[in-house]
Amino acid sequence: MTVRLSHFLVAALLLVTAAHADDKKLCTSSPRECEQAIRQLSSGRRYLGAMIEELNPGIAVKAVIEDGPAWRSDLRPGDRIMAVNGHSTVEGNIKDFKQILYTAKQTGVLWIIIKRSGVLRKVDVQLAPFSKAQIDKMVAQHLLVGHGIPDVTATSTAPQH
Amino acid sequence: MVRALLAKLKVSPRSGDRPDHVSSIIVPFLIVAAGLGVLAWRSYVLSARMERGVNTLAMQYAGYAAEISARRIDAAVHDELSRASEDWQKVERHSPSQAGLQKWIDDNDWITSALYMPDADPSNALFASGRSGTAQTGTLQLYSSSGLVRYTYDPSRLLRRVQPALARQPLVQAQGLSQQAQVSVIQNPSAAGAIKTGKGYAFIASLAAPLSSYAIRGFVETGYGTSGWENARLISVLLSALALSLMALGAYLAMRGLAHEADTMKLRGALVANVSHELRTPLSMIRLGAETLKRGGTRLPEKQRHEIEDSILREVLHLSHLVENVLDVARIQNSSAKALAFTPVYPRDLLTSLVSTYESWIRSRGFDVTLHIDDAIDEQSWDRDAVSRAVLNLIDNAIKYSGDENRIIDVTLRQTDESVVIEVKDRGIGIEAADLARIFEPYYRAQFSDTQTRRGAGLGLTLVQQIITSHGGTIEVDSKPGAGSTFRLLFPRPQSPKTTSLAQLAPQTL
Repeated sequence: MTVRLSHFLVAALLLVTAAHADDKKLCTSSPRECEQAIRQLSSGRRYLGAMIEELNPGIAVKAVIEDGPAWRSDLRPGDRIMAVNGHSTVEGNIKDFKQILYTAKQTGVLWIIIKRSGVLRKVDVQLAPFSKAQIDKMVAQHLLVGHGIPDVTATSTAPQH
Repeated sequence: MVRALLAKLKVSPRSGDRPDHVSSIIVPFLIVAAGLGVLAWRSYVLSARMERGVNTLAMQYAGYAAEISARRIDAAVHDELSRASEDWQKVERHSPSQAGLQKWIDDNDWITSALYMPDADPSNALFASGRSGTAQTGTLQLYSSSGLVRYTYDPSRLLRRVQPALARQPLVQAQGLSQQAQVSVIQNPSAAGAIKTGKGYAFIASLAAPLSSYAIRGFVETGYGTSGWENARLISVLLSALALSLMALGAYLAMRGLAHEADTMKLRGALVANVSHELRTPLSMIRLGAETLKRGGTRLPEKQRHEIEDSILREVLHLSHLVENVLDVARIQNSSAKALAFTPVYPRDLLTSLVSTYESWIRSRGFDVTLHIDDAIDEQSWDRDAVSRAVLNLIDNAIKYSGDENRIIDVTLRQTDESVVIEVKDRGIGIEAADLARIFEPYYRAQFSDTQTRRGAGLGLTLVQQIITSHGGTIEVDSKPGAGSTFRLLFPRPQSPKTTSLAQLAPQTL
């Protein structure tokens, strides 16, 4: 499902790009500046690799990126998040979760208690930095969307996912 | 200067009198000076204390102003960040797109670039960059409900955005007094806390995270930090020093005046003693003679009556002479030159007539007068009566202060290049060196064992000196105790330009 979602997104972006690439560029800076900025902003930045949804009350995992940090820690879609790092999220919302995520960025470790099919489990998630491939993909994405430069590597790697 | 004054005090001939005047002036002076000193010290202490208080207040005020302004800026920054976050949430809820991100950046002009990484697939990121910021940038991030936005920002633009928060400054307003702390933003602060500057106190309050490269500087100006003439404390100290030195000067002048006054008082006392004695003696003689004549009537023998009459006449003459001396001294003292009538006089005639007039009187006292006169002396412009009285006074002195032997008085008239000289020389008892300096002072009489038996008020020589001074001349004395005295009157000769020029021109014209 997650793979399909990402494919859908890429396809949508490609469509948008195709529609706008010819008449005007969305990004006013030079491609080189943009690439530098993207690499600087994303390098060393750790991510969870999971999408959270609100259940009202409570929060649950909506989607997990394949081979991301959450995937590797055995976090799966549908898991209800009961507590993170000692803070109860039984009646929390996404904002609370993001706040916890923000405060945990120093250590990069999340201790999550989840409830899967009625059973409570403890999951330790180690937030991981983006891989080089992911960063390259971000750059390619922006060059294509913002500057209308079709990247060879980006187009070649996209179908593989 | 002080040493000179001290030397003067010590050398003063009547130094024995000094301690009284000195203590009578010095003690009150010291008391007042001590009082002034205490006042100056107290005012100094008070001003120092006030200065400390003012400085403390200024320091605290600067601190409060800076801290309050810094917290206002922090709050404004926080508001700005959360507003930007909410803006992004709205965009994201709609649909996160490249155009939406770009618009978000353009709306918040302090954000220079942003990278949006959705939770669903972080590598499907959106990136947008706005106007390129300055070199100095920072990085912030915000977690939205479905992703993470990392953005760079320009602190200077963010600061400009929140600057209006500084517009209202803490203000102290008292009656007729308004002192405002000057609040400014500084970059890269070296240190936080209070700093003493040349003109007042500054306090630097650091700002929180996004703008930590800036700080707020509060400054309060105080008048006390200044140095030099503007420093009120220095001025008060200098004024105290000036007041003290003026007081010292005043005390010195008063002391001198008092000393002079005391001298005059002593002399006046001497005058009263002398003059009353001098007046009482002839008066009692006259009274005695007159009473005897009245009681005896014609029954008295002829010879005795004549003696009494002579004695009365003599005493009256003496009395009138004395009174005239006193009056003359007073007159000449009050208006020296006007009192005299200068007329052309031949000194030879003046002296011969004087001596011939008084020769019988001098002889009756048992004295011989010899005249030595230089005939070549021209007419002089003198006051005849005054010069006569001066010479007569000198002769009178010579008679009074001579022993029983060598009753000879030499009166000499001669001239030198500059002056006409009248010399009166006796062979009497002479004058002690200690007295020589003071014989011309009014009412002063040299101390002899028999001073009281010799008649006189101590005015004769004073009068002589005043007369000769009025004529523009000087008086000289040579005296040796036991060998006699010589008084020399030197009258200036009028320089006759005709004779001198003729004498000088003669060789050339010939």
